[in-house]
Amino acid sequence: MSTETDDSGTLKSIFPPDQVDRVFRTCDDHGWKLLIASAVVGALPPVLGLQSGYYMTVLTEMYLFAILALSWDIVGGQTGYPSFGNMAFFGIGAYTTAILVKDFAVAFPAAFLVAGLVATVFALVIGIIVLRLRGHYFAIATLGVLLAAQQVSRNLDITGGASGKILLETPSGTEFYYLFLGVLVAEAAVVYYLSSTRFGFVLNAIRDDEGKATAMGFNTTYYKTAAWMLAALFTGFAGGAYSLFNTFIDPQTAYNGAWNVELIAMALLGGSGTVAGPIIGAFGLHTVIEIVESYAVGWQLVLLGLAVIVTVIAIPEGLVGSLRQYASQMEYYKHGGMAAADGEADADEENPPSGGDSP
Amino acid sequence: MAATQFVVNGLLVGALFAAVAVGFALIWGVVDIINLAHGEMVMLGGYTSYWVLSLVTGNAEGSPLLFLATVPVAIGVLFVVGYALQRTLVSRVIGTDIFLTLLVTFGASIAIQQLALQAWSANPRSIQVSFADPSLAIAGVVVPKMKLVAFAGALVLTAVLFVFLKRTRTGRAIRAVAQNPEAAALVGIDVEHTRAVTFGLSSAIAGGVGSFIAVILNIQPQMGLIYTLKSFVIVVFGGVGSIPGALVGGLLLGSVEELVAGFISSQWTLAVSFSLLIVLLVVKPKGLFGEGVGE
Repeated sequence: MSTETDDSGTLKSIFPPDQVDRVFRTCDDHGWKLLIASAVVGALPPVLGLQSGYYMTVLTEMYLFAILALSWDIVGGQTGYPSFGNMAFFGIGAYTTAILVKDFAVAFPAAFLVAGLVATVFALVIGIIVLRLRGHYFAIATLGVLLAAQQVSRNLDITGGASGKILLETPSGTEFYYLFLGVLVAEAAVVYYLSSTRFGFVLNAIRDDEGKATAMGFNTTYYKTAAWMLAALFTGFAGGAYSLFNTFIDPQTAYNGAWNVELIAMALLGGSGTVAGPIIGAFGLHTVIEIVESYAVGWQLVLLGLAVIVTVIAIPEGLVGSLRQYASQMEYYKHGGMAAADGEADADEENPPSGGDSP
Repeated sequence: MAATQFVVNGLLVGALFAAVAVGFALIWGVVDIINLAHGEMVMLGGYTSYWVLSLVTGNAEGSPLLFLATVPVAIGVLFVVGYALQRTLVSRVIGTDIFLTLLVTFGASIAIQQLALQAWSANPRSIQVSFADPSLAIAGVVVPKMKLVAFAGALVLTAVLFVFLKRTRTGRAIRAVAQNPEAAALVGIDVEHTRAVTFGLSSAIAGGVGSFIAVILNIQPQMGLIYTLKSFVIVVFGGVGSIPGALVGGLLLGSVEELVAGFISSQWTLAVSFSLLIVLLVVKPKGLFGEGVGE
C-alpha cells in the first residue's frame, strides 16, 4: 500500500487509473468477443506457416500451463479451497491415455476423452473425502493425495513402474497445438460463463464465508464437489494429451510436484478468482522460466521458489486483482469519499465484472 | 522374531521422526504456520554436520565424539536460519490468508532445496563414524550402535526443548504467545521476536536431528519434503501442540513404516504413510492428544 501512495505520481502518469478502469469495463462488457478474438489470434501461427520448431512447442506448453492454472483456480481461487494436489488429476489423465493407447491400442481421441472422465471420477471419490477439510488440513491432504498417487503409480506394473512408458506413435505438433488451444478456449468459456451464473456466485460465496452460504440454503458440498470435478476434467484432459505430446511418461513427470507449485504461482501471479488472471500468469511465468531454462540450466526451480515468495509478499492479489484495485481506488477519490465508494460498490454488484471480483 | 526386529528398527528411526515433528508442531502451535520448509532444515542440519566434519578431518569420517561435537554447530546454524526465515519472510504474511503462508514456506522450501542441489549435487552423502561396526545384538535383535546413539540424541533434543519451554523465561513467553499474542504483547512480550525465536528453536531441533540422520541414513538436497510430510502425519496423529503426542506419533509411524517395509516391500512405505495421512485427517483431524486448534 505504502509504495502505491509513494509512487502514485509516476504510476498515474504511466497508467492513468481512469484509463485502466475503462479497459476493465470494456473487457467486462465484451468478454465473449474478447475470448473469440483471442482464440482466433491463437489459431493463427500454424496457418501462417509456423508449423514446427521451438516456438510452437513453447506456445503449446504455455496453453498447457494456462489450462492447469485456470483449472486450479476454479477450486483454489473461485471457491477458496487451495489444493496442492491438482497434478494428481493430471497424472491420472496422462497414465489413462498412455495405457489405453499403448496397451489396448485405443485411438488417441477416444483415449483422450476417457482420460478426462477418469480424472473426474477420481476427483469425485477423493473430493468426498478431502473437501470436508479446510485451510491447512485441506492443502496438506491434497498434497498427500498427489504423493500417494505418485507412489502407487511407481509400484504398479500397468504403469510401467518407476521407468514409465514410452509412446512413439503420436499425432503431429500442430495437432497438439490446436488440441491444447481448444481445451484452453473451452475451459475459459466455461469458467467465464459460470462466473455469471448462480453456480459461479455460490462458489464465490463459499470462498467468502462458507457458513453463510450454507445458512442461505445452498448445499455447499454439492457445489464444492462439482467445482472440484470440473477442475479435474480439464486437468485430466491436459494430462491425457500431455503423455503423447511428451512421448514419455513416468511417475516423476506425471505427478510433478514442482509443476503443482508452478501452476499455483501462475494463478496467483496473474490474479486468482478471475478468468484472465491465471492465463496471463501462465504465459508470463512460463516465458520467464523458459528464458531461464535456456540461459541458466537447472536454475529454473530456484527462480520458481523465489517467484512464489515475491508474488505472495508483493502482489497477493495478482496483476489483474491489483490493477482492478488500483482502478477502483482512483474511482473512490474521483467521487470524493465514502458515500460515492459505497455507491460504486453497489453498482459493481449489479453488473458483475468478468470472472468475479478478486477477494 | 522378524516382527520384533522391525518394531525395534521402527522405534529407533521413529524417535528421529518424532523430534523433527516436535519442531514442526512448535511452529504450528505458536506461530500458527505450517512450515513447509521444515524438512529443508533437517537437510541443512545434515549438511552442516557433514561439511564441518569434512573441514576438520578432510573427509566425512570421524570418531563418535568428533561427530557429536558437530551437532551443536548444526543446531546453532539452523537456529539462525530459522530466526532469519521468520523475520524476513514469514512475518510478512502472518495474519493474511492461511494459504499464502503455506505458499511462502513452500516457495522457501523449493528455493533452499534447489540451491542446495546446485551447490552440493544430487548425490546422497553420509557421515562414516569409526565405531559403528559391529552392531549390538540383544536377545536376538540386532541394534546398530549409531542408531542407538541417534535414538538417544533425538530423545535428548526433545527433552531439552520440553524443559526449555517449561522452565525458562523465554519458554514461558513462547507459551504465552501461543495462547494469546495480543495479551502477550500487552504484558510486554516482544511477540515478533518471540515468534522468530520459536522458529529458530524449531529449525534448530530439526537441524540437530539432521546431523544424526546423516550418520544412520543419508542426506541429499531433495530429502526435505518427505520429512515435512511425515512431521505433518505425526502432528496430526498426536494433536497440534502436544509434545508427548508427537513423540508417540513418531515412534508409531516409524514402526508402521518398518513393518510395511519388512512384510510387504520397502517400495510401499511412502504410499502407506501418505494414505495414512489422508485417513487420519478425515477420521481424527484433532489427533489423539490435542485439544484441537481451529483452522
